[in-house]
Amino acid sequence: MSANPMLPYLGKLVETRDLAAAITLLRIELLNGGGEAFRTSQPGQFAFVSAFGLGEAPFGIANTPQRGTAVDFAVARLGSVTTGLHELGEGDMVGVRGPLGNWFPMDKFKGKSLVVLGGGIGGAPLRPVIQHVLDHRADYGRLTILWAARRPDLLVFTDEYDEWRAAPDTSLHLTVDTPDEAWKYDTGLITQLLERTAPLPENSVTITCGPPVMIYHTTNLLAKMGFPPEWNYVTLEARMHCGLGKCGRCNLGEKLVCVDGPVFNMEAVGDLLETYL
Amino acid sequence: MKKAKPEGERAKSVSDKRPVEYSQRWTISHKELETWLDGIAAARTLLAPRDVSGVTLYRPVANSAEIAPVFTRPLLSVKGVFFPPTERMFTIHKTGLEVQLEETFPEWETVVFGVRPCDARGARLLDAIFLNTNPVDAFYARRRENTTLIGLACKELGPTCFCTSVGGSPDDASGVDIMLYETEGGYLAQAVTEKGRYLIPGGEWKETDLAHQPSAAGSQYHVPEKDEWPGRFKDDYCAYVCPTCRCFVVRDEVLAPGEFERLRCWDSCMGENYRRVAGGHKPRFKRGERQRNRFFCKFYYFPEQYGLGAASACTGCGRCIEVCPVGVDVTEVLVDMEEQV
Repeated sequence: MSANPMLPYLGKLVETRDLAAAITLLRIELLNGGGEAFRTSQPGQFAFVSAFGLGEAPFGIANTPQRGTAVDFAVARLGSVTTGLHELGEGDMVGVRGPLGNWFPMDKFKGKSLVVLGGGIGGAPLRPVIQHVLDHRADYGRLTILWAARRPDLLVFTDEYDEWRAAPDTSLHLTVDTPDEAWKYDTGLITQLLERTAPLPENSVTITCGPPVMIYHTTNLLAKMGFPPEWNYVTLEARMHCGLGKCGRCNLGEKLVCVDGPVFNMEAVGDLLETYL
Repeated sequence: MKKAKPEGERAKSVSDKRPVEYSQRWTISHKELETWLDGIAAARTLLAPRDVSGVTLYRPVANSAEIAPVFTRPLLSVKGVFFPPTERMFTIHKTGLEVQLEETFPEWETVVFGVRPCDARGARLLDAIFLNTNPVDAFYARRRENTTLIGLACKELGPTCFCTSVGGSPDDASGVDIMLYETEGGYLAQAVTEKGRYLIPGGEWKETDLAHQPSAAGSQYHVPEKDEWPGRFKDDYCAYVCPTCRCFVVRDEVLAPGEFERLRCWDSCMGENYRRVAGGHKPRFKRGERQRNRFFCKFYYFPEQYGLGAASACTGCGRCIEVCPVGVDVTEVLVDMEEQV
């Protein structure tokens, strides 16, 4: 690695596939030492992906290194960089800078039941958590996945639901705000689904990712349901330009999401979450 | 790349105190100072306060005659020397599917004359971010290493100065390499660091045992009258004139077909789009929320994030007060905040 931490690794797009409406999965094989660096990436970490000539943006790493040598990112087409990334095809070169940030302490979670709550594309950084638990199934208790989106066509990783459902002691609960005619699961917000599902707080850890307002209300409800703050984990996103604790942009109070996070437990950020909205 | 720890504390190894390494002193005349600066300007890049269309700024000068004769402090701080408004981080060459990245680092030796103690302190505060907290910023580190600061103690304080209220002083030599104090008929020069000592001409100057007597002048800060506000900036420019604001954006620019550069540019947290995220949501949308964040950053978040202890990240230079078109005065805000806490 260069002395310049802003310099990305080069990576080759080996697969692009539609995950949901305007959301693409980019599968990147890293070159010049990048593969080595990402082989030790942990669930919850993130990286910057460059569309050369347009810029770079941060994305949660969407797979565990145990699931293959390539690195997955779920990219929603929203701004100029993400639009540029959507226009790329297999064989195109991108830049990848990372892995960055902290991660979910999966070792600490051993022996506990997990409740994983994903809202929209916020499910992407939770996928490595699910993969890790499924790959080490005996180490963890019950796995309850609550998966939500605004519309059915915005649900991510739909083609993996069968694998999740088939795993021992694992359940998947789906909800959307606005169903279509074919929709046969729950309707409403993830908080309503959480109340209906009513997982038990005893010996449990919760992991939430989604839009700020979803995180805010979900963690409030979890606290009410008796999940202790030190076992309620969130992964936050904020606009950031370096990921190294320098550019100043991603602060949440005195914390920097890029280096103090993106993974926090509610004990650490509970009071600050209102400024995140 | 250095890894963060899982949900733990970041490593912090920052000290705001740098010991004064040297204490050799000389007395020099105005003429000797000019000759010395002319020599420096001939050999390398010399930046000094210079009049640019009625505004004093640190700019390259060809000789000592170009230096502004009287100045309180330049409108922009010395931070731009180490952390330029725009820095190229690398260039990108695209040919077909092939991409090559080419790194470029700044390679120039610079001497800055006329650095006020508040700005020198500002540079040391930026050191806490770019040098003393991992990872070290390669660009800042090179520029800092290749720059020698010649300080000039303040004889008078400007109308918005309040350095003494935030732990600084008009004759604080701790952040510069050489310190000059104005005396009757010339200057008392002190080598503060080895780098500074290296720049002082061997036998030409007369060594002295005289010590600089600390100035008794406290903060003479007064709230300027409304017609003293220059008011030439937009509402987010306090961050640009601040010696310790360091927020930046990273973006690509096109140089030629297939040729791009990745730039890092100054940014201001007071801008409405500063926190805008993909999808259009804008946290801290209200101006008051941004204002609150900026003051909290300066006096709480920054010191907390980079291990400054009780010190604040404000140097008391008063520039933000001077340029604010709507009269926001950090000293008044602090008094208000203290009353409310």
